[in-house]
Amino acid sequence: MKKSMVAFLTGISIAALLAGGCANKEAVKKEEAIVPVAAVEQAKPVEQAKPIEQAKPVEEVKPVQEVAVPMATPVAQQPAESVSRFETVYFDFDKSDLRQDARDVLSKNAELILKSMPGAKIQIAGHCDERGSAEYNLALGEHRAKSVQKYLTTLGVKAENLSIISYGKEKPAVNGNDEAAWAKNRRAEFVVVK
Amino acid sequence: MCHDKIDGSAMKILLFVLLLILLPAVLCAQPDYIEVTAPGNRQLRLAIDSPRPLDLPANLETAKLVSDIIAFDMNMSGVVKAEGRSRQSVTGNLSLVDVDFVPWLSDGFDLLVRSEYSLKGERLTVEFRLFDVINRKMLTAKRYLGAAKDMRRFSHSFADEILRVITGEKGAFTTRIAYVSAQTGNKEIYVMDWDGNNPLPLTKNGSINLNPDFSPDGREIIFTSYKRGNPDLYRRSLSNPAEVALSNRKGLNITGIWSPDGSKIALSLSKDGDAEIYTLDKDGSHPTRLTINPALDLYPAWSPNGKQIAFVSDRLGKPQIFVMNVDGSNVRRLTTNGNYNVNPRWSPKGDKIAYSRMTDGGFNIFTVAADGSSDTQLTYDGNNENPSWSADARFICFSSKRNSGNGLYVMRADGSGQTRVTQGKMSYFQPVWSAH
Repeated sequence: MKKSMVAFLTGISIAALLAGGCANKEAVKKEEAIVPVAAVEQAKPVEQAKPIEQAKPVEEVKPVQEVAVPMATPVAQQPAESVSRFETVYFDFDKSDLRQDARDVLSKNAELILKSMPGAKIQIAGHCDERGSAEYNLALGEHRAKSVQKYLTTLGVKAENLSIISYGKEKPAVNGNDEAAWAKNRRAEFVVVK
Repeated sequence: MCHDKIDGSAMKILLFVLLLILLPAVLCAQPDYIEVTAPGNRQLRLAIDSPRPLDLPANLETAKLVSDIIAFDMNMSGVVKAEGRSRQSVTGNLSLVDVDFVPWLSDGFDLLVRSEYSLKGERLTVEFRLFDVINRKMLTAKRYLGAAKDMRRFSHSFADEILRVITGEKGAFTTRIAYVSAQTGNKEIYVMDWDGNNPLPLTKNGSINLNPDFSPDGREIIFTSYKRGNPDLYRRSLSNPAEVALSNRKGLNITGIWSPDGSKIALSLSKDGDAEIYTLDKDGSHPTRLTINPALDLYPAWSPNGKQIAFVSDRLGKPQIFVMNVDGSNVRRLTTNGNYNVNPRWSPKGDKIAYSRMTDGGFNIFTVAADGSSDTQLTYDGNNENPSWSADARFICFSSKRNSGNGLYVMRADGSGQTRVTQGKMSYFQPVWSAH
């Protein structure tokens, strides 16, 4: 009798607690298969890497909605020499892995560093196109710079001479909102810092 | 003996259970506010009579300001339909006491705001009263003392009070919004009243400044700046331009957000290789890593009780919103629709999380219940990002690029009443709403 009374009360308590709004349901867990992107990359037409001069806004039409986007300016106040000697590396949308054309460019850049400026301190700046969130692009740009840094070290460049920074989508090379502009903005640039 | 004991404790449990069941009902049955309802489903109509000056000459600008502010706030709330009406005679006496309700009633108003003000030099005194026109009685009254420039704040404050009387919940009309604007050519941090007035530049360093967040007391902000080269996290007071580097660790120091109790800051750091969520003490010390994952983890958002953190991660390939306990345990995916979901912000009421989703047509603002259900799209026009809740959870502010004008917009939490609050023609980014 006593036991059943206690059990009954306990039952009510639990029911009351549940009714009282303990709505701490577990969020839906759903794992998605991660599609291997490297394979897809290879199938794409290899885009010719362009030297940075061509990437500057010359005849780009400035879209009306982009008035407040910061003007495309070269990263930091770099001497013109360092801009011309290194080639810029380009990426696919939302990707930080290196395309074949990017690897070709990096081989050339690595050779330049090893032969002409073995002790130079070089900063790799990762950039993104205007699509996607500003915050996510900061992290993505860093991932791009890191991919470049890692690849250069495999080519023999000393890791301690390479630093990285990300500007996300804050410093576009060209203004514009079409694939031509986006492709030029998804990039990693080289700056000699010392 | 034993028998009595058990019965005694059983009785206590029974009383406790009864209390649990009855307490909410008792609380609901006795609201601490006056219920004002219009017959049928008609929206209540609020008239704001012109404020009466106690000193002549009358200041017409001040009078219009008061009516406009209260009408704007109350119309945005969606709770009443408000309009400024001038009926009060400039020289009448005792206008707050002897109100002739008949003309207001015949014009179909349910509620009436009357006010008197005195402006002597810079000294402002203003008194507001809210009347129930139908029952011919005063519902609330407030008197404010301050400087001439405080008229805006006092009007917003009385709008907060009107909302409290009508709904039982104080408004958030005296709060402010911090944001990023590139009107000087560089992205700098600004702060403005919630309705877009009094925009004030905070940073002027000519660098890139991003993602401001208010301290819970509204007196300080944190933000990321490239002013010394690296994206570091800074902290400064709204009233003092001195900026203190709070976190200048190697790599990213981004998307910082104050914990609801102000004791900690959650942010994304990449000092250990890739962007991960950390918490810091509010002075920037004692970093505690919460995520351990080779993917990008960023944009933390505290739950209002400080026990959970929502964040963005691309651990499944594309950025999605996840929730974890504040110690990093129990990570679960929140958003299951769409393949690019970012910018989570937890409602101050705890029930919903606002975020933005990218589709082919750009970004739109959504809300989702904290358990992942009730995913709801709130914007459809243009490109809409970085939602931030008002302190009363009634509104969401966001940045928008749309045909009707780029700027910062405010809408009700259900997506209705989308209104541009910034006045300039620039692009505005990353708005964040202060707490009460």
